[in-house]
Amino acid sequence: MINIAILGAGTMGRVHGNSYLNVENARVAAVFDFDEAKARRVAAVHNAKVYADFDEMIKNEVIDVVDICLPTYLHKEFALGAMQMKKHVFCEKPIALSIHDANEMAGEAEKQKVKFSVGHVVRYFPAYSRAAQMISEGRIGVPKLIRTTRTGAYPSFCWDDWYSDRSLSGGTLLDLVIHDFDWIRYNFGDIERVYAKRASGGDSKKLDHCLVVLRLRNGAIAHVEGSWAYPRGSAFGTTFEVIGTKGQIEFSSRDSVPVKKHILQDNSAQIVPDSPLFSNEEPYTAELQDFINSIVENREPNISAEHAVKALAISLAAMESAKTGKAVTLGGRA
Amino acid sequence: MMKKIKVGVISFEHMHAVSYTSSLIKIPDMELAGIADGDVPRGREMAARFNTTYYKDYRELLKTDIDGVIVCTCNLLHEPVVVDAANAGKHILVEKPFAISYKGAQAMLEACRVNNVKVMTAFPLRFNQAVINAKKSVDNGEIGKILCITGINHGKIPSGWFLDKTLAGGGAVMDHTVHVADLMRWFTGSEAETVYAESGNLIHNSGIDDCGILCIDFENGVFGTIDTSWAHHKNYTIWPEVYMEIIGTEGVIEVDAFRQNQRVFAENGIQDEVWGSSGDEGLVREFAEVLRSGRAPLVTGVDGSRAMEIALAAYKSSESHKAEKVIHISY
Repeated sequence: MINIAILGAGTMGRVHGNSYLNVENARVAAVFDFDEAKARRVAAVHNAKVYADFDEMIKNEVIDVVDICLPTYLHKEFALGAMQMKKHVFCEKPIALSIHDANEMAGEAEKQKVKFSVGHVVRYFPAYSRAAQMISEGRIGVPKLIRTTRTGAYPSFCWDDWYSDRSLSGGTLLDLVIHDFDWIRYNFGDIERVYAKRASGGDSKKLDHCLVVLRLRNGAIAHVEGSWAYPRGSAFGTTFEVIGTKGQIEFSSRDSVPVKKHILQDNSAQIVPDSPLFSNEEPYTAELQDFINSIVENREPNISAEHAVKALAISLAAMESAKTGKAVTLGGRA
Repeated sequence: MMKKIKVGVISFEHMHAVSYTSSLIKIPDMELAGIADGDVPRGREMAARFNTTYYKDYRELLKTDIDGVIVCTCNLLHEPVVVDAANAGKHILVEKPFAISYKGAQAMLEACRVNNVKVMTAFPLRFNQAVINAKKSVDNGEIGKILCITGINHGKIPSGWFLDKTLAGGGAVMDHTVHVADLMRWFTGSEAETVYAESGNLIHNSGIDDCGILCIDFENGVFGTIDTSWAHHKNYTIWPEVYMEIIGTEGVIEVDAFRQNQRVFAENGIQDEVWGSSGDEGLVREFAEVLRSGRAPLVTGVDGSRAMEIALAAYKSSESHKAEKVIHISY
């Protein structure tokens, strides 16, 4: 049994915690959060220990894996600390705020001979993995035009409103569409060139909308859109469209809803959508199961540190392009 | 008896001529006075179908007492035909793209100005009811101030002269940029400043650009992207796709211009048949009103030129990999 310590008991900590209930060969042994009450809520499900002090937790508990669900700007500090204690590290995306930090984390994992992976979970969303599989089997020929969207309201549930500070979160270009950057690059090829725009306004720093044009090294082009500009309460949704030389695939999460509940809430009818999955198909469970398996089988995890660094490089190029108004050439570096 | 206003149609090279002509003959005070087409079998067929006089040479049609012409030649011929029509004193509705070069657009606008004729560009989406309602909502401030727009104009690959760069002036980027570019200008009330584009012959191996994504910066700070691709495969269930997602400071409006459709499953496949207004009828009714009243059209030749200028800048950017300044011709 592999013992997990979850760092950060916010939204992602809770999601990972619930997923571990269905991950084989793993149990959550401890939960750390600066806010002990929050940590307690996540720990209760697992009968895990609760800590508000990381060093104390590492000293007291038998931990194999540290699962970092803290805000991005804390990833490096805690990842390096855990690796130096010979812990395997699973880290939420994005890996870090800079290539320098990301490389330092990847280098430390290598040096300490621990497994290290990053939560590019979209690869494990069934619609996305099924499409990628069909495309790799040649179902639509060679992919040439790719469009993705990832849109919704500003994530107001976040702790301390840290998403709204772009120096800490990177905004939509780093925090949100890095999912699509990873999916595109991993499945369809490295990126040659990035041109990006971002809009802000209205509700001060919170509104953030980005449009990104990518040219892949293999000549394909892509349009990636991310939004925290939809009004408060809007449903989050994603779409993709991949057009190849012989056919095309389209997906919209908002249209892929097998259960629609029409129920009264506050005396007014609401439609509550539900797209349920078997527990082993649940993307976060599948992602974490692969990481646990990589430890058991002593192999590289499916999502490697190198992949995470490449996805980060695309986001950083997009942020630079949005700032300068110029296309940024990656030349296949990511 | 009601005075009839006479209109001629020059060429059915562009298939939209059928829809425009069908719309025209529904208007009580409009008379289809003749069809000119250099392609004799096609011209005769259309003249018979619409029960009107056939002319092989459009200049013969221009010599008659018609008030206006609808020009649906290939893109290359817009310039000589529109200039001749203007010199003959006829008001003009010309298919998009207005022209394929700065020089051509300039000559056309100049001829219309000198001869004091009205010229309209065929941008039927301005008369699509879904687009009109979205515009009203934006103008009413329902989404606050516009920040950016994601635009898509996908379709299937056309055939014939559309794939000949000389006759068409370009591929998908020339063909599909202009509709949404025009809507963006209309919605934002601003002119394009720079364009960045990635494009190429990626899907159909037809020797001309069939995919393109543009990113346009407008003078008022709004930006938008347009996907101009002839990307849809032959068995796709619908031909036109025109979509805009307008991000405002207070909300978002999505408009999918041909979404009023119904799915038909028949032996020859699955088809989404549009039952909503395409905009073609509204466009032709507007041309009729311009002929009737002499007032300025809601969508002009200048609008056509401005949209073309964006497409031309996009081609330049596709080569340079830089955001290129949009050159606005003066008229």
